[in-house]
Amino acid sequence: MHDVINQGPAIIEMRHINKSFGAVNALIDVDLMLRSGEILGLVGDNAAGKSTLMKILTGAYHRDSGEILVAGNPVHFRSPHESREVGIEMIYQDFALCGNMDVGQNVFLGRWPRWGVFFVNRRKMYAEAGEVLQRLKVDVSSVYQKVESLSGGRQQSVAIARSISFEPRVVVLDEPTANLSVMATERLLETMLELKKQGVAQVIISHRLQDIFAVGDRVMVLKRGENVGDRYIAHTSEQQVLEIIISGTREAAITADEALTKAA
Amino acid sequence: MTLVAASPLGRRPAQLFGGWEVGLLGLMALLYAGGAFLNPDFFGIGGEALQSLLRDSSRYGVMAVGMTFVIANKDLDLSVGSTLGLMGVVFSYVFNTAHYDMGVVPAIIVCLALGTLIGLINGVLVTFLKVPAFIATLTMLLIGRGFILGLTGGRAILYPIKARDYAWFFQLGEVNAWGLNNQVMLALVVVALGAFVLAKTRWGYETFATGGNEQAAIYAGIPTNWVRIRAYIISSLCATIAAFMTVAQNKGITSQAGLLYELIVIASVIIGGASILGGRGRVIGSYLGAVLTALIHKVLREGVPIVREIEVGGKIIQVKATSTLPAGAVPVFIGGLLILAVLIEPYIIRQKMPQRIWAWIRKRPAPPPVETGGVALEGSQTKGSMVSDRAVHARGVGKFLARRDALAIILTVVLWLVGLWLRPDFWAGLPNTFAILLNYTELAILTIGLTYVIACADIDLSVGAVLALAGSTAAYCLKVLGLDPVTAIAMGILVGTGAGAVNALFTVGFGLPAFIATLGMFYMARGAASWLTSGKQLTGWAEHFNLIGRKVGDILRFFGLQSPEGLLGAVTDVVSIQTIWMVVVAIIAGVVLGYTTFGQRVYATGGNRRAADYAGVSTNRVRVTALILAAFCAAMAGVINAAYFRSFNPVAGQFRELDAIASVIIGGGSIFGGFGTVIGSLAGAAVITLVRSLLQLNIEGFSLPQHYVNTFIGVILIVAVLADIWIRQANIIGRIRTALSQRRPLQREPAHA
Repeated sequence: MHDVINQGPAIIEMRHINKSFGAVNALIDVDLMLRSGEILGLVGDNAAGKSTLMKILTGAYHRDSGEILVAGNPVHFRSPHESREVGIEMIYQDFALCGNMDVGQNVFLGRWPRWGVFFVNRRKMYAEAGEVLQRLKVDVSSVYQKVESLSGGRQQSVAIARSISFEPRVVVLDEPTANLSVMATERLLETMLELKKQGVAQVIISHRLQDIFAVGDRVMVLKRGENVGDRYIAHTSEQQVLEIIISGTREAAITADEALTKAA
Repeated sequence: MTLVAASPLGRRPAQLFGGWEVGLLGLMALLYAGGAFLNPDFFGIGGEALQSLLRDSSRYGVMAVGMTFVIANKDLDLSVGSTLGLMGVVFSYVFNTAHYDMGVVPAIIVCLALGTLIGLINGVLVTFLKVPAFIATLTMLLIGRGFILGLTGGRAILYPIKARDYAWFFQLGEVNAWGLNNQVMLALVVVALGAFVLAKTRWGYETFATGGNEQAAIYAGIPTNWVRIRAYIISSLCATIAAFMTVAQNKGITSQAGLLYELIVIASVIIGGASILGGRGRVIGSYLGAVLTALIHKVLREGVPIVREIEVGGKIIQVKATSTLPAGAVPVFIGGLLILAVLIEPYIIRQKMPQRIWAWIRKRPAPPPVETGGVALEGSQTKGSMVSDRAVHARGVGKFLARRDALAIILTVVLWLVGLWLRPDFWAGLPNTFAILLNYTELAILTIGLTYVIACADIDLSVGAVLALAGSTAAYCLKVLGLDPVTAIAMGILVGTGAGAVNALFTVGFGLPAFIATLGMFYMARGAASWLTSGKQLTGWAEHFNLIGRKVGDILRFFGLQSPEGLLGAVTDVVSIQTIWMVVVAIIAGVVLGYTTFGQRVYATGGNRRAADYAGVSTNRVRVTALILAAFCAAMAGVINAAYFRSFNPVAGQFRELDAIASVIIGGGSIFGGFGTVIGSLAGAAVITLVRSLLQLNIEGFSLPQHYVNTFIGVILIVAVLADIWIRQANIIGRIRTALSQRRPLQREPAHA
């Protein structure tokens, strides 16, 4: 399936994004495009601006200049809550779950189904949480289990279940495999493919190229706050991407499509 | 080794003395001038003020040296005041003719050994046993006070005659040849030593590393546990030295020695430039802070000389007098000062306020504030690693035992049966049941609100004091202002709830750790309560008000109704209005916490505040609501207390906060937040109430003195917190079981991972 190049409509377009923190230019004129149902890997050294770019997308940071289009409409998010409303979800590296609460309560954190004005509709909450988890094909043994008694991989699954229960169009995963065992990573990657089947576009920030190569459609390289090119996974190799990370420059950058034509 | 101040690296930072200290000196000069203006006789040149100021501040100063080490470590030591008192009492016990009648040297040795031990206990509790510093040392404060009262019986121990034989020691309290009190000299020596150690030696550097970032310090190979224990030992040894100074000056000790000292000492250290968030602090600054605090204390206490006109026999005579603040006012001001001082570091130093004002004056661009990197003011929420999920899989009895409140429910039953076994004649009878239920009601109302606060991962140390404040307000309205009972009740609840709003403002609004904001309120509310009543007991008002504190049977009789016969009659003679009221409040609060989305928001806030924020939970609103609710419950308890006793006593609700915290923890709450149910807390309150009445039970003519009961409750609180941390959170029993079963050849079910 990697051979079929996704040419669907762009769900996210970020154009000429600039962001500086004091004297540090974190992002310089960065473009990013994400198609629906696409998995985009975002790679680069530390401090390349990957997380900053994604936080600007979700509204956690505010851009200095540039524009963001979601499904063609320009947007100005002031907080992650606003980006959630148009269907953009971010999964944080430390999962952001409440360990003292159970799986069902965490899936619906902050928007527990109501019964009447005040009461929690527990039956509905656990039933729907179970459904979401089944959709993801993760086997958490019980939705009544406390999250802090789950392993890291399972906690990750709950975090993903939580974000897809919002029925998002875009999911951003920040270093999702950093704290996971090999087994858990495998399972996470399966979950990502499952999501992709359901048409959810994903951005995965990772240091581990092999993960991106296992599930991604395209990989984009950032270097010192600049976009230094992107490639289709099907038409590149880890070696090539590493070369771009190490020696790529803004001037020499070409897009995935340009690289494809050049190769052909 | 002479080093040039300006090297190519720039000027080396000041370690001993800096701009902050200069500012303190300036402020002190201003205050002193103000004092001299108000009361020239006392503060003027040649007045005794300077002499007594330096003498009084020397004890605070010595204790501030130790406290600087503790606070620079990001810890807190609330036990210093009671350590001072206890060491004074121990010294007196060893030295006094009526007791062990030994010399000064053995007394000093015993005190130093015991002081070291107290510091060691504090240190081990907060480091290895991971008890939050404020709860460990607050309990030590309570236990210490209990011992002081128990040993002295509330009286002073004095030995002026025997002291003459040991002039070399008791000279410490005298004025020396240079016209300075010897205590001042000793304080200066301790300060110099402390300043040198903290600023120039490896011990000091290790302290700052530990307070700045304990994790990084551990990685760098610093034995941070030892560094923190060491600071606690230094702190309690400093308190011991201050105890020697007290004993030497008074040639004896009173049971009040060291009362509120912890407040003054902590305020001094914070005013002296240390940060409650750790990693900052200079001993000389702390000493100057102590002098400044003592000066404020003095200016507040000495008052303004006024001329009063009195009519005697038709003639108007002018009489000289001083208008002073009542005793209760001092903790109000010092408590407020503490909270304001804590705000200095984040809001003035980190924001570079002086530099910005200076730049604004010179019309230059303001320097940017120090980048905090999004680090919240609060320390990170410490979490126990695991809570077992046995509850999900257990069945039957196992399901009950896996509940977090199982312990409290079992203990309640067991303790009641113990009581029945000890005093079968008395325990289950009407009077005792009534007394137990009454004590239970007051505590239960307090714990209901506190359950919310603790579930939010905050703490409210001020509930007992707010109880007193609300009760005194109601009593003041009734007695002094002559208002009607309904207005008085409303005022009491309003003022008490207002105290909760102030707690919320400082905790949530200004981002102070909850324990420090509510500690400030702890002193302020109690001070205000005794200020209102001028430290006296108020009594004698309309009986209508007292009805909210009566038995149902009494109320029926008050309205001229016949109370029912038989069992129902017995119930009306046991159950009071406040008990019914408490049950109503408990049901509402329990349902809200257990079954509504608001309850879920509380648990989410306590479990992981950042995650809850991301999930759109307005955690600030939840925390504010919880803190106000706690104060509201305390206010209700206060008004009821005044009604029950038909009078208000300023010591009402004293130490109740510890009972209430212990109840919530025993009932399944966690000191780190995220857990706790109203049912559990009510069971916990029942445990505490039963323990108290068991301890006070008269068995064959013997009963335990009240002071030791408080000590015992302190021990229970610490044990409850330890059990929560180690058994519930860290699941130490499960780990031991796993470790044992792993030794055996495999026969265990697969783990859930």
